[in-house]
Amino acid sequence: MAIFKLHLPIVDDIKQKGLKPALLAKVDDAVTRFTAGLGIGDIRGVLRGDPAPRPNPRVKPHSEGFWFHMRPTYYHNLVTPLYPEFRLGWLSVYFMVFETITGVFLMVFYTPSPQAAFENMLNIMSNVPLGLFMRDLHRFGAEAMVLVVALHMLRTYLTGNYKKPRQFTWFTGNVLLWVTLALSFSGYLLPWDQLSLWAVTIGASMVEAIPTPYPLNLLGDKFFGDQYFIGTMINNLVRGGPQFNDNGLLRWYLLHVLGLPLVGFIFIGVHYYKVVIQGHSLPPEAEKVGEDTAKRVPMDQRTYFMPDVITRELFYVALVTFICVFAVTLGGYRAPLEPHAEPLITPLHTTAPWYFLWLQGMLKVGDKVFWGLIAPGIIINTLFVLPYIEVGPSRRYADRRIGLTVSMAACIVLSMLTFMGTPWYAVSSSADQEVIAEIVPQTHPGPLRMTPWDELTVGTFEARNWESVKSPELQELLKEYEHAVEIAQAKDKESKFNNLEGILIIEDWQDGLKKITVRVTWQDSTGNREASQDVYLHRDSNYGG
Amino acid sequence: MTVRVVIGTVIVAVTMMITAFVMVNEPNRMKEFEEGYQGRSIEAGAALYQTNCKGCHGVQGEGIEGVGPALNARDLFDGRRLEEIGWAGTGADYVESTIAGGRPRASASFSNYPQRMPTWSQEFGGPLRVDQIRNLTDFVLNWETTAMAQPAETATPNPNAAGTNLNVELPVGDAATGEQLFNGKVTGQYPCSACHSLQPNQTVVGPSLAGIATTATTRVDGYTAEKYIHESIVLPDAHIVEGFNPIMPKTFGGQMTKQDLADMIAYLMTLK
Repeated sequence: MAIFKLHLPIVDDIKQKGLKPALLAKVDDAVTRFTAGLGIGDIRGVLRGDPAPRPNPRVKPHSEGFWFHMRPTYYHNLVTPLYPEFRLGWLSVYFMVFETITGVFLMVFYTPSPQAAFENMLNIMSNVPLGLFMRDLHRFGAEAMVLVVALHMLRTYLTGNYKKPRQFTWFTGNVLLWVTLALSFSGYLLPWDQLSLWAVTIGASMVEAIPTPYPLNLLGDKFFGDQYFIGTMINNLVRGGPQFNDNGLLRWYLLHVLGLPLVGFIFIGVHYYKVVIQGHSLPPEAEKVGEDTAKRVPMDQRTYFMPDVITRELFYVALVTFICVFAVTLGGYRAPLEPHAEPLITPLHTTAPWYFLWLQGMLKVGDKVFWGLIAPGIIINTLFVLPYIEVGPSRRYADRRIGLTVSMAACIVLSMLTFMGTPWYAVSSSADQEVIAEIVPQTHPGPLRMTPWDELTVGTFEARNWESVKSPELQELLKEYEHAVEIAQAKDKESKFNNLEGILIIEDWQDGLKKITVRVTWQDSTGNREASQDVYLHRDSNYGG
Repeated sequence: MTVRVVIGTVIVAVTMMITAFVMVNEPNRMKEFEEGYQGRSIEAGAALYQTNCKGCHGVQGEGIEGVGPALNARDLFDGRRLEEIGWAGTGADYVESTIAGGRPRASASFSNYPQRMPTWSQEFGGPLRVDQIRNLTDFVLNWETTAMAQPAETATPNPNAAGTNLNVELPVGDAATGEQLFNGKVTGQYPCSACHSLQPNQTVVGPSLAGIATTATTRVDGYTAEKYIHESIVLPDAHIVEGFNPIMPKTFGGQMTKQDLADMIAYLMTLK
């Protein structure tokens, strides 16, 4: 008598039904369990667009499985096409997942310490297979996510979906918008390059301006010897000390990988729960004013999640993934990496990320406290409580002329402020520094570094004589140089920079290394003046171009 | 809907193909990046050199006599300088650690450079970050090609050097001068007392030399005390005292003149 008897049911099945039918039945069984209700035949039917059999097995995953229980079984016919929703909410969630996956990959190779972070970046780019690819995808996805989330919000505003009863959905959406922006901004800081350091420096100096109101300032003066102690404390909190340091980096890192994603995923849950519980709201023109029929979908108006919505969603995922992968490979998108953070070198023209340029533009308008804190504070808070203030019952475009006008005006103002945030608007630095920064900028490679190394022949060249230079690439560079000089000269209304001239001196310095002196000369009331910047270029350094 | 499924499937396939293509090219891409980054490191090092180093080592690393030695010199790259100071690591390690830690005291090999070199790494209280030290190292090492193109100088042996031949004719020694040499009273020369104590059975690094004149006669059969002492100075590994390691420098034969050696032997012979 055997102590241990092996019993394989599949063997009995094979004996009974034959090999192929038994195995097929087994596979079908496994698939049915995995999909919580759909067998191979059902999935095939879904993909081929067959009409659903009765009873409909395709609703089973919704009632029995975990993932699909979150999704409605059917939608109203009017909300499944591109209009009115453009699937921007779905794409936002997609990017959240996309960023998590690429982010975890990068996290494996990253240490949040000023001593190691930058070197980790180089290691990711030079030593980790697919490291550069993942970093580019992560950065590209982050930019795309900000855009998608902002557009989702604009769309919700335009179609009036924030109105009763969906006020709270709008509120949680606002939380998600700021989570997205904060995630993107905190990601800027982690590589510990010049961009990181100066972006957080701008941010921290803005919060440092938080005023300490009377009488707290007196108390602060008495107990801490600092009457601006609120600003000081917050500044210490975000920088980790008076200077941005290890503690500060660790805080931003934890915020980026833990705090913000946690809040994000929780609020995605709340946001989507509200969407499902209240139904996808119909296009404004499909309902009577003041009615909300999203939950009552007549039998003949239904589009079932399976197969129609799920294939659309998967199609969008495939398409957007393709766009991301295409952008970072054949599209040539590269996540920028500036030189190692250097507190002693302030780059000329530090700009905020594009989605915060409007804030930088506002700072240029006037007072730091009002334009940097109070005005954005009012805007943000207004957005949060908008549905509770704007209570007009109609969602129809014709009835919301003021609202739509205001939103369009806001978009225009935002674009203008964004432009004002760029260095092209009202940045006052001296003409010579402008010219030098044009040729050898500190934040990106710029024309000199992009010029092929071999074309930089030893000698002294005057920008104004660019035409007499033989090498076409060097000629192009000198032409750009002369152009920058001309622009700076034209901007010099007070005649502080007379006879501005650009000179380029190229010397052989070491094996495979050239020294290039970018020198600008001019005359002012004190006589002849000059400013120069030395740049060293190595044969292999490959800045692109 | 079928169209969506078909296009979607094609898109997924294309995406996977692009990713596979990227994967296949990764080794080349990574190598290229590494080279490019090495180039940028040299560039950054050149800029740092100009602000921090050229004051002592010259604008192009040619050195300033009496202030800082040349860095674009052949002996830094052909291993001679490392050998001279007994450096066990690589040349890159030597350059990097010297920049990082400086020279707390003037280099023994370059007695005409009395200045100490300051520490540069933030790790040791200097102004530069670790990555900047590495940039500087890359820049200094980039002189290798030009330095190695310089003609190799052949060391001219000192005609008065004692050498390692035990049969060399030595002049008459003076024990008093020998004592001064032994204790390092003659500036910077052979401070034997740094390693050898004169107290019986006291070990500093090497064995005690108390009573050496007596001990020397018993150490090797057929050797006189003078011959044993002579051999132990110029060929220190020939007979190692039990329990000690062969770590005494083997350079004294080249450094000491015949007179120095004779004086030293004369002094040691007084230690009965």
